[in-house]
Formats: sequence, structure tokens, C-alpha cells
Amino acid sequence: MPPAESILLTELRERIRRIERLTTSVHGVLPFGIAAIDRLLLGGGLARGALHEIFGAGGDEEDGALAAAFAAGILGRLGPHPNPPSLAGEGMGDGLVLWCLAHPDLYGPGLAAHGFDPGRVVLVRAPRDAEILWVMEEGLRAPGILAVVGEVGTLPTVASRRLQLAAERSGITALLLRRWRNGGQAAHERSLPNAAATRWRITALPSRATPGEPGVGRPRWRVELLRCRGGEQASWEMPGEMEVPGATDHVSLAAALADRPIAPVASERFRRAG
Amino acid sequence: MHLSHRKGSAAPAEKVPFATVADAAGQRLLAAVNPAATAAGLAPGMPLADALSFLPGLVTAVAEPAEDAAALQRLAEWCGRYSPWTAPDGADGVRIEITGSSHLWGGERALAADLLTRLDHRGVAGRIAVADTLGAAWAIARFAEMGESIAILPAEGCRAALAPLPVEALRFDLPTAQGLRRVGLKRVGDLYAMPRAALAQRFGEIVAQLLDQALDNLPEPLSPLSEAPSRRVRLSFAEPITEPADLMLATERLTADLVRRLAREETGARRLDLAFHRADGRVERIRLGTARPSRDPHHLAALFRERLGTIDPGLGIEDMILAAFAVEPLPAEQIGFPGHPATNASGDIASLLDRLGNRLGLAALSRLEPRASHIPERASVRVPISVAPAKAGAKRRPAPVPGSLDPRLRGDDEIRPPRPIRLFEPPEPIDAFWVLPDDPPFRFMWRRRQHRVTQADGPERIAEEWWRPDGSNTVDAIRDYYRVEDEEGRRFWLFRAGLHDGDHEPRWFIHGVFS
Repeated sequence: MPPAESILLTELRERIRRIERLTTSVHGVLPFGIAAIDRLLLGGGLARGALHEIFGAGGDEEDGALAAAFAAGILGRLGPHPNPPSLAGEGMGDGLVLWCLAHPDLYGPGLAAHGFDPGRVVLVRAPRDAEILWVMEEGLRAPGILAVVGEVGTLPTVASRRLQLAAERSGITALLLRRWRNGGQAAHERSLPNAAATRWRITALPSRATPGEPGVGRPRWRVELLRCRGGEQASWEMPGEMEVPGATDHVSLAAALADRPIAPVASERFRRAG
Repeated sequence: MHLSHRKGSAAPAEKVPFATVADAAGQRLLAAVNPAATAAGLAPGMPLADALSFLPGLVTAVAEPAEDAAALQRLAEWCGRYSPWTAPDGADGVRIEITGSSHLWGGERALAADLLTRLDHRGVAGRIAVADTLGAAWAIARFAEMGESIAILPAEGCRAALAPLPVEALRFDLPTAQGLRRVGLKRVGDLYAMPRAALAQRFGEIVAQLLDQALDNLPEPLSPLSEAPSRRVRLSFAEPITEPADLMLATERLTADLVRRLAREETGARRLDLAFHRADGRVERIRLGTARPSRDPHHLAALFRERLGTIDPGLGIEDMILAAFAVEPLPAEQIGFPGHPATNASGDIASLLDRLGNRLGLAALSRLEPRASHIPERASVRVPISVAPAKAGAKRRPAPVPGSLDPRLRGDDEIRPPRPIRLFEPPEPIDAFWVLPDDPPFRFMWRRRQHRVTQADGPERIAEEWWRPDGSNTVDAIRDYYRVEDEEGRRFWLFRAGLHDGDHEPRWFIHGVFS
């Protein structure tokens, strides 16, 4: 590549980065309060007014328990929009969360255990993925909703882009929990591109027995940030591993993380693709 | 109103005697006859063989009572343009309650004339009577000598108008009418002088009752086709409209009209029905429900706009009628989402919920509400979004869980046993393998996947709420819950149903998944 074009490309990248940074800062970020995670995220936290994708691993790809718990931890700490778009007015503080799914197996006490008040959930039951995505998009257009959560198996790229755009426009945060029928569908869907700003995978790890406490030990998760749009590079692919100790059933994930020293990021470091 | 329908292409010209024929008890009887056949001396109920011997040129067709009844039902619905209270009457009539709506048409006679003209356009011959009572209108429409096809009885005029009519005009069944005739009571007027008690004793209560109903001494409720609306607004078009833009404009105008009335009364509508009366007599409808009582014209019009595409205007819409059902008090200051201050944003949320509800059904929307129950599936229930939330004080304090820890020893709720984040309703059966009957399983199969249990907590015994009358049917009386972890680190909530006894193997279920 001739040097002139290379410089032009670098300039363009820089401009795109600035534009992206601008859109992110409009709605602010939600820091996890954990330096190891926050420094990977543009603006130092999870972008508000953006689409974030969360799923489990193994059998939990179907049950979506860990994904729901991770989402509850985020929602429990997601306060009112710092500078709401003019449309929204003061009603933004209502804190209602639209949670759309096909089989309403979400259990209130379990959400509460992760620091999220189930009384703030408006549960929407829709039979098919297409309808769930439609509900999410409608929710993202309604000022007054704090966040929108949808549980889908299939996600057409176009639909994800529409959600991301709607979230950017309204400043409402969208969490997309993926639940797949089986490992085959999971593998296929995971390979498809989508427009989510970040992509997280949460895996259960065998617990270690706590001395003096018989029975089931404290749960341990592996939280993977598989993709993160608008990070230091224009586009990132990072199969990193972060072990998060001590997230319990009773305390929200983030609070638990903030209280404890975080284990070092595993040896396989980030690989950047640009 | 009394009707006789000239069948479109199948029916011969008016001057040809025509009858429909039905099978009854092995005999073929005339079911209905046209005026030409009546003039020749034929009447319904006559055996077909007799009729043909009178009138060899009689044209016949097979009677289709079910089809006729359906057509009559449609016609009664179409008559909804004149009044919300309409109903089919027997096999050949429609009743319409026009009290309070005749002035919209410029009086009773003008209404009847409009109705008759429109019926005629549809190939239906009718006789219309307007009277104080249903019984009198029924009698006049069927039995009175009328110069034209419309008879309007003056108020309090039933008694005089009915007197010369045959007793059959009082809707008696055939044996009763024959019994009256046998004792010389041939005309309705003959009954006036008879003591009611004697009539009732001799011919049954029904005679006195029908007479009193016809003479307005006894009320007779009209059973309308559907629930009567609380508020109703109508728009008629001189030229039938078909354009979607016109339909939308009309919808907006009707919505604005309705909202003005609701605002005056400080009420809001929970259900709406927009009826499109087509030129060909069919009625198309959009039915809406709202999560909260509403009287926001833009919101309501927007809800209709989304569904307007489902309306087939056919050759054109002549009338549009917007009716509000289930009207509820809605003071001006309370327009908002329950539990949240009435701001612009909460209004937006209410309209969002209505949009979702009208596509998915309002039943698809719910809230999670904690309840004081230690039965897991009852401790958090989904309540419809339209129900106001419980008081804040009653929330977030689940009942103590018996069998786990003495409440006095427990510092606070944080120590109560963990609850899963996904709860399966109903619990799913699993194949469990255990060593001792009281042990948690060491291995179980669920959804074709095998899980090897590495650690377990429990049991936590949860007994049926025996004081509930509906208990015991849905869940086993006693469940022993275990929280188990498999070798991957995933956690499940399993329970053993019922008490173990020698005869039965205990049954195992999975009720939820922990995070």
C-alpha cells in the first residue's frame, strides 16, 4: 500500500474512532467497578444506549441462567440516564425494564439475589424470536424505559443493527440474552456476525469447597468479553479469559467483584485484529 | 321488523309462486312461501304434496335453516348502524331498540324509511313496526293490515292497535292459540276483559305474561347481540369511502369525538370496538384493549392506525361506529402508569404497553410480584399489567421459609436459602439415581443430558400450604429440595416428591436452575 493511502486510512480510522467515541459519551457508561474489565471498555464501562449480547456456555446456552444473572447484575446498578434526551424528560427515573421472552421462566427471587428488584420488570411473553425482537425495538423507542432485555435464539444481522440504532437514538440500554435449543444451533448462531457493541460469555466453574462450610461452595464464573466494539481499536476480537471469583447468589456480580481483588487475567492475552 | 328474503339468483320472479321445503317427521312441508304463493292459498306448514295438487306450477327449493339463521345474524349486526341494541328475533325478524337513537335519523319514521330502503336494495322485503313494546311491534309487523310496510304506533297505542289482531299475534305456540280459539277467544281484544288469573290457570302463565308484555304491563328485556357499549359515536358518509387515508381521517374524527365525551365524564376506555359498515351489508371490526383506561386521542388513533390494514372496505364503507366498552373512572390528574408519577414518560410507557398488548394480547404482559408464600411457584407470581401493583410496604419481604432455619436465629433475609433465577413451571421430571432413599441423587438425566452430582445442599423441606382449599391437587404435599452442583459447576434445584415409603419409588423433579 502506498504510504499516502496508508496515512489516509489511518486518518479515516481516527475520525471514525472519534465519531464512535462521541456517540458513546452521549449516553455515558456504566462502569463495572473492576479495573481489569473497565479498562477494556471504551469510556471505562459498559456503554449505555447500546446493544450488548450475553450468553452462557455448555448446557446453560439453553437455560440462560448465568446470562440472566449477569444481566440482573448490570440492571441492578443501571441508574437513571445521566443526561436524558429531551424527549424523555424526568420520567427516565422510573427504572422500568422490559424483559421479553418466549417461556416466562424468569424467577423474581433469583433476580433479587443479584441486586435487581423484580418489581421493575415488565415481562412480555412472545412466542417467536421475530416478535421478541419487535418488542425490543418498540421498547427502545419508548422514552421512560430504563433498559430492554430480550431472550432470543436466532438473530438476523439486520435485526441486531436495528436494535443497536434504536438504542443509540434513545439512550436506552439493550441486553440481548441468547438461548439456543441445542449445541448445534448455538455453534451456528455464535458464528454469525451481529451489531452488538459487546459480546459476553459466562461459564460456570466448579466451586471450591469453603473451609468450615460443608455442601455446595460459592459459585464461580468465567466471564469472557468476546467482542467489544469501539475499544482501543476500531474493531476488536479478543478471546480473553477473566476469572471472576466470589460472585455469589446473594450479592450482585459487580458488587462482589468490586469487593474482592480480581484474579489475574489468564495467560492467553488479547489478540487484536484490525 | 319482519322479513322475507328474496334469494338472489335462485329465486324466480316475484309473480311466480315459490316455496322452500323442509323435511319434518318424514313429511315434506313448506317452510316459507312468497307473496304469489300466499295469494294462491299456500301457507307454511302445508305438506308439499297438497301444495302441488293446488298449484302444480309451484317452484320449490330446499330450505337451508342454518344458512338463513347466519344471514339473519349478519343482518342484525348490520342493523347496529341504527342502534347498539339489535338481535335476531325468531327465524324471520330482527329487533332493534331505537329508544334514544331515533333522533339521530330525524325521527322514527325517517329511521324506518331509511331501513326499508336499504333492505330493499339488498333484496330483502320487510315490514317494520315501531311500538312501545317488543310484543306489539312483533304483532303489528306480522299480522296487521298495513297500507305501506311501515307502521308507527303512537305512544300508549298498543292496546287499541292490537285488539283486532288474531290471538296468534301474541307469540303463542300453536296449541295455545288453538286452545284459545276453541273457547271463542279469537282476537287479542277478546283477552283484555279476561281476568289474568283465569287465563293463567286455563292456558298457562305464558298467556298472561305475553299479553302483559305486549301491553307494556311487564318489562321485556331485549337480549342484544353483544354487550352494550358504554359510549358510542357514529359517522355516516354520503358516498361510501374506500381510501385508507379517508378511513384514517374518519377514525381520527371518531376518536376525537369519543375522547371529548370521555373527558367530560372523567372516564377512560379499556376496550374499544370500531365497526365499519360496508355498502354490501357486511360489518368489519377492529377491537382494541388498553392496559390502562385511556382517553388520549393520539394514542387511541395510533392503535387503530396499526390495524387499519386488516380492514377490507369492499365497495365502500357507509358508516363507522366507534364504541367504548368497560369505561372506568379516569380523573384528569391520574393519566399515568400505576405506581409511577404521571409524567410524559409514563404516558409513553402506557402507550408502549398498549402497542405490545394489541399485537401479542394483553395477557402476554405481566409483572413479577412477590407474594407471601413459601411454595416456590407461589412466592413470585406474574400479575397482569393492568392490575395496579401492591403497596410498596407489602413488597420485598417474602415469607419465612419453614424447615430451613429458625427465624429467630436468622439475622436477616440474606441468609435464607438461595433461590434459582430460572424456575420451571411445572417442574420437569428427571431420572435420578441415588444410594439411600434420603440422599440426594449422585447422577441424574435431564433433557437428554447426564449430570454427575459433585456437591449437594439440603434437604429443605417445603410442605403444601394445607390451609389452602385448592392445595394438594397441583403439587405433591411434601417436597424435599436439594441444591446440587454437577461436575461442570452448574447448579440445579431438584426435589423429591412425597414421602418415601416401601411401596413407591420416590419421584424426582428439577424445579429450577441457579446462576
